[in-house]
Amino acid sequence: MSVEAAPARATLVRRRPPVAVRRRRFLVAVANHSLLIAAAAIFLLPFVFIVLTSLMTNEQALSPKLWPDPFAWHNYVEVFSKAPLWRYALNTLIYGGLATLGLLLSSIPVAYALARLRWRGSNAALLITLVAMMLPPQVTIVPVYVLWAKLHLVGSLWPLIFPNFLGDAFSIFLLRQFFLTIPEEYLDAARVDGCGEFRILTTVVLRLAKPAIAAVALFSFLFCFNDFFGPLLYTGENSQHWTLSLGLSQFRSLYQVQWNLVMAATLIVMAPVILLFFLAQRAFVEGVTLTGVKG
Amino acid sequence: MRRVLGTLGLLLALMLAMSGCGGSKKSNSSSTDKVEPANISIWTPFVDPELKTFKAVVADFEKSHPGIHVKVVGGTNDDKIVAAIRGGNAPDVAQSFTSDNTGAFCPSGAWIDLSPYMKQDGVDDSVFPEAPRDYSKFEGTRCALPMLADTYGLYYNKTLLAKAGYKSPPKTISQLTAMAKKLTVRDSSGKLKVVGFNPFPSWYENVPAHFGPSWGATWMNGDKSALDTPAWADQLGWQKSLIDWYGYDDLVRFNAGAGDEFSASNAFETGKVAMHMDGEWRVAFLKREAPNLSYGTAPFPVADGHQDLSGAGYVTGSIIGIPKTSKHKDQAWLLVKYLGTNSNALAKLSNGIQNVPTTTASLESPLLQPLPGFQTFLDVFGNANTTTTPITRIGSANQETFQSFVGKYMSGSKTDLQGGLAGVDKQIDAQLKQAEAGQAP
Amino acid sequence: MSAPAANPPLLLDRTKAKRRAAWRRRGLVAAFMSPWILGFTIFFGYPLVFSAYLSFTHYDLLSPPRWIGLANYRYLFTTDQTVWPAVKNTLWFIAIAVPLQVLFALGISIMLSRARRGVGVFRTVFYLPALAPPVAATLGFVYLLNPATGPVNTVLGKLGIQGPLWFDSPQWAKPSLTLLALWGIGNTMIIFLAAVLDVPRHLYESAELDGAGAFARLRFVTLPTISPVILFAVVIGVIEGLQYFTQAYVAANVAGGSASYSAEGASELGYPEDSTLFYPILLYQQGFRYFNMGYASAMAMMLLAVAFAVTFVIVRHSRRFVHYQAPGR
Repeated sequence: MSVEAAPARATLVRRRPPVAVRRRRFLVAVANHSLLIAAAAIFLLPFVFIVLTSLMTNEQALSPKLWPDPFAWHNYVEVFSKAPLWRYALNTLIYGGLATLGLLLSSIPVAYALARLRWRGSNAALLITLVAMMLPPQVTIVPVYVLWAKLHLVGSLWPLIFPNFLGDAFSIFLLRQFFLTIPEEYLDAARVDGCGEFRILTTVVLRLAKPAIAAVALFSFLFCFNDFFGPLLYTGENSQHWTLSLGLSQFRSLYQVQWNLVMAATLIVMAPVILLFFLAQRAFVEGVTLTGVKG
Repeated sequence: MRRVLGTLGLLLALMLAMSGCGGSKKSNSSSTDKVEPANISIWTPFVDPELKTFKAVVADFEKSHPGIHVKVVGGTNDDKIVAAIRGGNAPDVAQSFTSDNTGAFCPSGAWIDLSPYMKQDGVDDSVFPEAPRDYSKFEGTRCALPMLADTYGLYYNKTLLAKAGYKSPPKTISQLTAMAKKLTVRDSSGKLKVVGFNPFPSWYENVPAHFGPSWGATWMNGDKSALDTPAWADQLGWQKSLIDWYGYDDLVRFNAGAGDEFSASNAFETGKVAMHMDGEWRVAFLKREAPNLSYGTAPFPVADGHQDLSGAGYVTGSIIGIPKTSKHKDQAWLLVKYLGTNSNALAKLSNGIQNVPTTTASLESPLLQPLPGFQTFLDVFGNANTTTTPITRIGSANQETFQSFVGKYMSGSKTDLQGGLAGVDKQIDAQLKQAEAGQAP
Repeated sequence: MSAPAANPPLLLDRTKAKRRAAWRRRGLVAAFMSPWILGFTIFFGYPLVFSAYLSFTHYDLLSPPRWIGLANYRYLFTTDQTVWPAVKNTLWFIAIAVPLQVLFALGISIMLSRARRGVGVFRTVFYLPALAPPVAATLGFVYLLNPATGPVNTVLGKLGIQGPLWFDSPQWAKPSLTLLALWGIGNTMIIFLAAVLDVPRHLYESAELDGAGAFARLRFVTLPTISPVILFAVVIGVIEGLQYFTQAYVAANVAGGSASYSAEGASELGYPEDSTLFYPILLYQQGFRYFNMGYASAMAMMLLAVAFAVTFVIVRHSRRFVHYQAPGR
């Protein structure tokens, strides 16, 4: 309301604006807040309905009733007996964990080389990285699929995990942007002390870049968790290796559509991510900001 | 090593066959076939409870062929099988629910040519009735055996029909239409509560292929697509007029609230639909999921003026074959032969799953115990006018192209029926040409 | 720079040392870059070239590729009747859904920036849906928007409005997907929020001095200052639009599945009536359902061309609208 309570500047003399203006500002703020509340309510509504449906019986879910009666808490247990959610979760964990590990191991040195080492091809390499970032994956899937098929690895999670050990364009770019912000002095000091570039990377840079690395790791894991196309393509035929996303989408066609169970399964799949968010809020927001503002 | 032994075994068997010993001409093959013990795998689309029957029959095979252990994987589908073959990790035996892909499997060698094995074991494909014989081979190459067939007919809810004063099912399309309209019930807000006959395209089993036989409609003329015919125009015209009577959007809403086809909330099983086009397997589902429903079965009504087609229907079926990547082809063949030609096996499968057995011998097997209502489908299977869709190189793409147009025509997005059908023909021909591109003629 | 060599008396030794250092440096760079060099070559470079080659062949993975020259491209441009709807759908998405997402995210972030209280809570609420795995979110929406039994139409019905058929209607399917996309703009919103909050105060104050009201300040201060971020969001949005797959695939299968023949689904791609048949979905169908890999490669080449062209056009035209701040990055 009182914007002008900001530090007064010597060149400026402010008086409190007239009541009319203050009142208008107040109304605007109220309107703003109301809109926000309305929007927030609309945003929450789908969640509310999903939760409510997950607690209904099957007949109720198919009917126009909006409030569960009775509350079918056992749905959450039944879901696990209808589909091997634990196995899917394990697969998702394997995929996400290994992929993130590989991604970090490979992308950090590359990002460092692009940011801090000066060499002749570095601009070209950066450009190529940008191009790789923008490329729709569908452009390369056919030959890559053929490659994995010839290696007899289709049906497993390896086609999804392994490429991450050879770098990921997006992470490289993100980390590079961050590494650019490390003051040269730190690096020079380490060099003077006789550290080779590798030591510099592991001791100085890694420590300074912890938030960025955490954000990249988080994004990578999230991507794997949410990935549908990849698992569909490579493990679609082998349900032993399905991930949660794929398993959830198939939950309805293998077993009859029971919307109450599908909604319960949906919530179960959403839960870890939301939990992760609340635990690592800062890393999330920082990471997202890193991509945008520096982008 | 095994392959060498296998080839030796094959040669041995051939020699024995030529010398007149072993290698019986009966379709019930004995276990004198000399093959190495092995572990093989078979993929099937069946899921429980049908999978249980399937596994029991496979267990019988193992008993009569000691040394061969079979791992059964259920719940697969064509895409998975195709992907597995291409990915190089396919099973030894694969079963597909749709014979459509024969045209893709055979010429490319994805499923191996079975004729050498058949010759060796004296299995002749005349043991199969005509339609299954045709949909399991392509351009002379037999890369699959039919195993259980599906035929389609009419299911009707006796209770609902009686309430409306009907004692017998419709025999012609116009009777069907009249009865459907009378059996339809709407609630107070005008929403459809009970639908006499749901004509909505692609809903449950409502695809052109199933309706076609009632109008005598065919798909191809030689090797060109020929859908632009009066027969299809009549079929689609009938369907559209019934849809318009119901109201397209009203049907969409009804469908959205109806249960899944293979769930216990199936619209026919729960009495939401009075008359329904479905396959013979529904009999088993009804017994399991809706035992109190009083229903009857009959061949699907035929178009007025096509009385001669009465009693006919559409037939398709499962096929089994051996993917080319199998490392135990001899053992796989034994399983294929057992499942495809052994009367006892087929009868047992038919009883448990209520599908139609696919050899003329098994049709007459004393072990066959069809449920009431099933006889209709056996009759349809035996009817001379029952047809199937031709096998082409593009698998089911032609049907999907046709269905896509039908969907748009029924919703009103496309209004030119003749032009649309001609367009579909052009598309399918182009797809066929594309599939053969670059091949030596 | 390289460690200073000990001082040899001869010039030759010094140059040799320098050269050795230079080689060591190159080796170092190579070592650091090696994963990406390998990765790019194997998963981008080689596939691009091989894709181009495959686009001139007929290849179904079962037999070796058959050279057919331009046949795939001819089929693509003249005969295939599913390509043009797919292109139209993708263009629709890029032209309508992407700007809507950007505007919506912008609007919310601006409102948030003005809020005094509970910003943290609001931020969480708006961000949460973006966390939902796309498959889960799509399933939720398909259920919610079920024309017969879904809560949305039930509530609308109570208000006396007959709700549309949503995912079951060719006219409403894409808008339904757009609603789903709008629900998930949390990421973009956070980026915009950070950018808006970053606008230097003195710019606002000088504008106020000049008599600018709230709207004018928005138009002449806020928007121009954050325009690089807006551009970034638009470019990302377009790129994602060109790859749009998961939500359309799941929605088509689920909405179409319960109404359709074939327990195996997947012939429902594009349900209803090709309205959700986006280009990547068609590509997937051709390449991995029908295994027309040669044809799918031709489609992929076209996608590549379009992706480049569109990004180029946007970046080129952006110079008019985007104001970069004083020497930044």
